[in-house]
Amino acid sequence: MVTEPDTESIQVEIVPYRYLMPATAQKLLNEIYKNGGLVRIMIHGPNLPRSVPYGPGRGTPIDENRNLLIEVGGEAFELSVKVGRIRLELESEKYFDGLKAACERALPFSFTIRRGKFFRTKQTLTDYAKFGNVEDKRILGLIDPKAKKDRMAILSEDKVTAHEEE
Amino acid sequence: MAYTPQFYPGSTSVGINRRKHMSGNIEKLRDIPEADVVTIMGHRAPGADYASTHPPLKEMGEPDCPIRQIVTPTAGAAAGDRVRYSQWSDSMYFAPSIPYFRSYWGAINCKGCDPGTLSGRQIIEARERDIEAYTKKQYDSEVTDVALCSMRGCTVHGHSLRLEENGLQFDMLARTEMGKDGNVYAVKDQVGIPLDKKINLGKPMSESEAKKKTTIFRVDGVPMGGKVGARKFDEAIEMTHHMWEYRSKWGYRPE
Repeated sequence: MVTEPDTESIQVEIVPYRYLMPATAQKLLNEIYKNGGLVRIMIHGPNLPRSVPYGPGRGTPIDENRNLLIEVGGEAFELSVKVGRIRLELESEKYFDGLKAACERALPFSFTIRRGKFFRTKQTLTDYAKFGNVEDKRILGLIDPKAKKDRMAILSEDKVTAHEEE
Repeated sequence: MAYTPQFYPGSTSVGINRRKHMSGNIEKLRDIPEADVVTIMGHRAPGADYASTHPPLKEMGEPDCPIRQIVTPTAGAAAGDRVRYSQWSDSMYFAPSIPYFRSYWGAINCKGCDPGTLSGRQIIEARERDIEAYTKKQYDSEVTDVALCSMRGCTVHGHSLRLEENGLQFDMLARTEMGKDGNVYAVKDQVGIPLDKKINLGKPMSESEAKKKTTIFRVDGVPMGGKVGARKFDEAIEMTHHMWEYRSKWGYRPE
């Protein structure tokens, strides 16, 4: 009996033991990128507001959270969250071991890495209300339902673009 | 024989630390100048007059009341200060104090204060000059570790979040920072307004020291039941079961 090779894409979640500084996040993302086989990737973590959101100091700029530019695969983009969790989809299982090794190289502390199903496949009502009919299904699950539209970034092979659709 | 209050059961290090916090018998670890504490609190400029909500009690002519004769007013109440607050976030990653134990400390040891416990933060309100003294006491003592605890008047998230790479509790508003010399510096007041100069809060505790001083029970630290696999649970869990049983059966009327 011949077993069919498993060439289906897999989804992986990486959770570092601590929140990553922009420099470490950049290093990790570059290592993941170099490993190849990426279909899509989402970085997740607590929001880093540009100004104090409420209280007596409301509106005071937070300089520490500005210009958190990182460069991944030759493209620069601005971090708006503290990187605490990375979810990604790989073309096939063969990239998984390389991914694990990439995390070990980039992270100075422990992390958990697990396979599972992390991105939804069906469009939700929120997706529909925000984006209409989503044609490219890869963006499903990359969007925080509570986030404003301009907060979404799509990382593609060619370029990094902020989604600006009204 | 003089009565010695008993505060918390158990022989685990966490039980002992909880007793220490509640009894107020806490070790002084650092000395942050009073002016710096006032600056971080952000309610008044150091050296400025205290704003008041009523004239000093002596000038007011109080009614003839036996309770007022028994209870000496605090300095703040006597002067008629306004009520101000200090609010803390303590990381669940083995911060020395956890919200409830700051409250116990306040309620038992601080006169004329109103402590409030929330899921991830703890607030104490009192007359301004009293709260300044209580806050300094908290800052200086082992109740606080400068990396794992911070004063946050708003945007308090941090208690249940992972730590940052440098060991600081996550803070959206970046109120504290780790200096190159290994000291933690306060760069903003408790509501996120930048300070004129950085305030050196001293060195943070090491991970092992924080684990020794913590008041949080954790499975990966000291569990509430005491030593895992022991024949008998620690008294802390027995007491909790006992209270739970009484409360469930008789609405907490242990008759």
